[in-house]
Amino acid sequence: MTSQSLRLFRWHVLRYIARHRLLALLNVLSVALGVAVYLAIQIANHSANRAFAATVDLVAGKAALQITAPVGGLPDATLPAATNCRGVAAATPLVRGIVALPDMPGEYLQILGVDIFTNAPFSTFELTDFTARDFDVQGWLRDRDTVAVSAEFARRYRLKSGDALRAQVNGSNRELRVGFIMRTSGTTSLDEHFAAMDIGWAQELLDLRGLLSSIQLQLIEGANREAVIADLRRVLPPDATVATPAQRGQQVENMLAGFQLNLTAMSLVSLLVGMFLIYNTVSASVVRRRSEIGILRSLGVTRTEIRALFLGEAFVLGFVGALLGLIGGVLLAQLLVGTVSETISSLYVLLSVRHIAVTPLMFGSALVLGLLSVLVAAWLPATAAAKMDPIRALRGGALLEQSVNLSLTWLWAGLTCIAAAAALSFVALATGPAWLGFGAAFCVLTGFSFVVPALTLRFTAAADRVMRVHLRRFRHHLVEANLASANVARSLIRNSVTIAALAAAVAMAIGVSVMVFSFRQTVESWIGETLVADLFIAPASNEVAGPSSFFPPDAINFLETNPAVAAVDTFRELELPMGDKNIAVAVVRGSERRNFRFLHGDTGKIMRRFYAEPTVIVSESFARRHHVRDGGNLELRTPEGPRRLPILGTFYDYTRDQGVVFMSQKAFVEIWKDDRVNSLAVYLRPGAALDALSTGFRARFSREGQFMMFSNGELRKRVFEIFDQTFAVTYVLRTIAVIVAIVGICLTLTTLIAERSRDLGVLRAIGGSARQIRRLLLWESAMIGLLAAVVGVASGLCFSLVLTGVINRAFFGWTIQLAFPWSSLAITPLWIIGAAVTAGVLPAWRAGRLVIADSLRTE
Amino acid sequence: MRLSGLLLLLCVAVAIAADWKTAEPGWRYEFPRDHHAHEEFKTEWWYFTGNVFDSAGRRFGYQLTFFREGIRPPAERNPELSRFVVGDLKFAHFTVTDVAGKRFRFEQKTSRGAFGEAGFDDGERLAWIDSWSLRMTADGVFHVATETKDAAIDLELKAAKPPAIHGDNGVSAKAAGEGHASHYYSLTRLATAGRLRIGEKSFDVSGDSWFDHEWATNQLAPDQIGWDWLSLHFTDGAELMLYEMRLTDGAPDPSSSGTWIAADGSTTHLPSSVFRMTPTRWWTSSKRKAKYPIAWKIDIPSYGLSAEVNAVLDDQELALQPVAYWEGAVDVKGTREAGPISGRGYLELTGYAGPLRELNR
Repeated sequence: MTSQSLRLFRWHVLRYIARHRLLALLNVLSVALGVAVYLAIQIANHSANRAFAATVDLVAGKAALQITAPVGGLPDATLPAATNCRGVAAATPLVRGIVALPDMPGEYLQILGVDIFTNAPFSTFELTDFTARDFDVQGWLRDRDTVAVSAEFARRYRLKSGDALRAQVNGSNRELRVGFIMRTSGTTSLDEHFAAMDIGWAQELLDLRGLLSSIQLQLIEGANREAVIADLRRVLPPDATVATPAQRGQQVENMLAGFQLNLTAMSLVSLLVGMFLIYNTVSASVVRRRSEIGILRSLGVTRTEIRALFLGEAFVLGFVGALLGLIGGVLLAQLLVGTVSETISSLYVLLSVRHIAVTPLMFGSALVLGLLSVLVAAWLPATAAAKMDPIRALRGGALLEQSVNLSLTWLWAGLTCIAAAAALSFVALATGPAWLGFGAAFCVLTGFSFVVPALTLRFTAAADRVMRVHLRRFRHHLVEANLASANVARSLIRNSVTIAALAAAVAMAIGVSVMVFSFRQTVESWIGETLVADLFIAPASNEVAGPSSFFPPDAINFLETNPAVAAVDTFRELELPMGDKNIAVAVVRGSERRNFRFLHGDTGKIMRRFYAEPTVIVSESFARRHHVRDGGNLELRTPEGPRRLPILGTFYDYTRDQGVVFMSQKAFVEIWKDDRVNSLAVYLRPGAALDALSTGFRARFSREGQFMMFSNGELRKRVFEIFDQTFAVTYVLRTIAVIVAIVGICLTLTTLIAERSRDLGVLRAIGGSARQIRRLLLWESAMIGLLAAVVGVASGLCFSLVLTGVINRAFFGWTIQLAFPWSSLAITPLWIIGAAVTAGVLPAWRAGRLVIADSLRTE
Repeated sequence: MRLSGLLLLLCVAVAIAADWKTAEPGWRYEFPRDHHAHEEFKTEWWYFTGNVFDSAGRRFGYQLTFFREGIRPPAERNPELSRFVVGDLKFAHFTVTDVAGKRFRFEQKTSRGAFGEAGFDDGERLAWIDSWSLRMTADGVFHVATETKDAAIDLELKAAKPPAIHGDNGVSAKAAGEGHASHYYSLTRLATAGRLRIGEKSFDVSGDSWFDHEWATNQLAPDQIGWDWLSLHFTDGAELMLYEMRLTDGAPDPSSSGTWIAADGSTTHLPSSVFRMTPTRWWTSSKRKAKYPIAWKIDIPSYGLSAEVNAVLDDQELALQPVAYWEGAVDVKGTREAGPISGRGYLELTGYAGPLRELNR
């Protein structure tokens, strides 16, 4: 850059910014918010992935291969065979389980049962006594229920050596004793929810006597991994899985990808709204300085330089905004990461994210994205400035906007976009890929934005006529309104952009609301049909730790033989290997009262066969994800080798986007020889008292809260608590987009007033009062708000169709019955207009204070 | 008296366990019964050391020890429990001293024994961990075998003398006070023959070995920081065992003692008042910075014995983590009642590498 350009830049851009601090600030803020939201979501997603990868690292240690068996575990007698397998340099067994800590509500510990005799080459942590660097081997091996906790966990709960820790596992309370500290050797931080025990005592604690969760292996240098895997398969049970630990991490990352992509897409909406605003500000600044542009051009400044000046201005604002956004993003991430990880924990995999993890790339991409969005948004007005004819610019009065004719072109562009949205939706559903759904969503938002100018013109024309013809009697009161509608039409493009920005934010808000509402309605009706038992009981630790604890047989027996009980359904949840993937399987034993809603076929017939033969039924999302259909087969790896099970039906299910396969307990026990269950659903005899039964059960088995019990109503309530928590992040993003849009209105009105100061001065000079000027501006705000509300609601309804019908189906395979929250939709225009008028208050107040002489000086 | 540093480390953390039997006076030794494990005692070891030669006269020393450290007393063991729950800690040390090659090799092995890959008392096997084993066949002959990358032994050992019972009235005292004692006997001279491998090279060897078997519960007192122990085979057919417990103030514990085994197998208990052990040369370990007295002058005036004991190789340190000790082959030379006397043996030095002192907190 030459020194002249620099001077020009300083004079033209920096001074301008300095003079219009509020404007600059609002711009910076809108960019900052967009960048912050985007970055925060990136960080939250990445942190969740990192946290999971870290647990994989911690558990798998430095293993090259890992043997796992999904059901129950590997018989521990397979360890010597694996250890002695050719190519294996070292092997260590691992037992894993989760216990809940009832004295620390919501807390849990992932217990790792480790073998200190063999885990040295694998271990990523060190075991020590509390005080010294020593390690009391004998105490470690001798004392039942002695655990090592992380230093962070000990600090958080002020634990001393020898302190007791009440733990719930499999419906009973056990006392753990804190005796050792786990310390990580490297830089990797330890998830404080991990605790270690001797493998023998861990088997006892977790009721896993004779079973291992996994065997970690290291290979001899130069050993052929595939050959070793093949050798291992020969000595292992057929349903055991041999894989690298990274594969498990990859699986989880893939599982979370859809969920995280959704969040990212939503975070981009704020950035999009921000772009509209930048466009507006730069346009305003071009209009306001048209005479300056004329002078510069007359002095020999080229068109390219003019464009560069305006782009530079946008860039400065964008840069400051993006930098602020980076800081804000990190702060926002701290808030979001907890919610995101809770959602992931309740939907996908138990996860605890205590620290956010960032990479330079994220900051880089957020910065580039922020700057890029600013430059793209500024390009059109900057180009318009460059194209400005110097003479006309100098003469003054020339408006930037001569684009009334354009509105028709844009109308067509808009309609085309909306048609494209429909086409993309169709393709996304019919063939995929699923992300085309986002393309459709984008087209909806853009399409409606393009329609805005035409709509605005028609609206103002209509408003004008109505006021002139039908409301003549009120015309004294409506002078300001009449003028306002004329003004809205006159600054058509900029007003349209403001309206479009606000409408996009409104559309998103509405789309999300409708989607969540529909989802909720659907789930509600689904639960109404499927959740029919009177009482649901599960070991309390499952509430915190997922289906990790099992129901003691004597408790099942107690319920089954109770005279008040008509029937007991059992439920078991686990993962089974199918090909090289793991799938979620639910094992049920039931009366035929457990109701499924099938997509096709006769429920009664399907269920009778389901309980009688080794068959499966699959959820809708499972069918979609794995491309299976009724009448087909599901091939599972079982302890006796691969087994094909007929698929009887596909049912609606909203419990997980990964899909689920149901199998009867009879079939499962026959194949897997494992009859443990995670939870029960109890049906009462007519007239039996629920309270008496649950009191009796509590007195007998759950005196210290070892079990959680939900009546039908309570469980429904709990389901919706989880449901709402799942959408918490969505609500946050929605709110931010709306805030950005409201900032935008404020911004636009401020610029419009500055730009129109001469007109306003004239109005004052010919007798308009300051109050009238204010009312004029508030009318304008209200009209902008009204138009935004109309477009926003329309576009929001289309957007919600895409979200519910396309994105949810394509990504998660859920059929959601569209339902509209009419009452909240009805008040939407009210709050938008209210917000718009509120945003107009400050600019209007300032306009009222204009000094007439100053405004008219140029005349 | 024999004990490895690691074992001491293990002992220190343990409070006196009422569930374990302690060594009390009046024990009646019975063989072969007492060659087997004594599970009601907390600590036990089978300790073989020897000096052997190949046909060309190349000299080697070896040590093979199996340790049993009780984690849970027999009364608390329950076969129903997880196989991974440990009743006994099982570990072993193996060393080979290559005198000509001036090289000392050592290795420790430990195992949970969850699948029977390590244990005690199973038919002929008295103790084993993986491929390391100690067997006693019906004819009373011992077989020791080890296998490592660096070295291996496979030796047959025949006792030339009956077991020598150490101490007084069936117990070998380690400190003042009840219970600070062990049951301790030795087969002091075992005719040894078999194969020994170092690196890739295998040798047919023969020579003399010494076998210690000792079991006890909580035998040490808190003010003891280590000990010096030696066993000697004299060429005239006699053997000598001496140990001195060292106290925190550096002085020897008066409970220290020894045993003289005459050529005919008869034994004499030597209380600490009748002998003197004086270090004459020190060697500092580069690995652990410990300073070991690897040459000694021993005097037993009542036997007219005065002799110099010298390590055949300075570095015979088992530099194990967390506790290291020195155990190696020695030569002995001196006079007994004016006549020359010589022989070979093994020397053990513990408590010189840092951590031991710390552990006596």
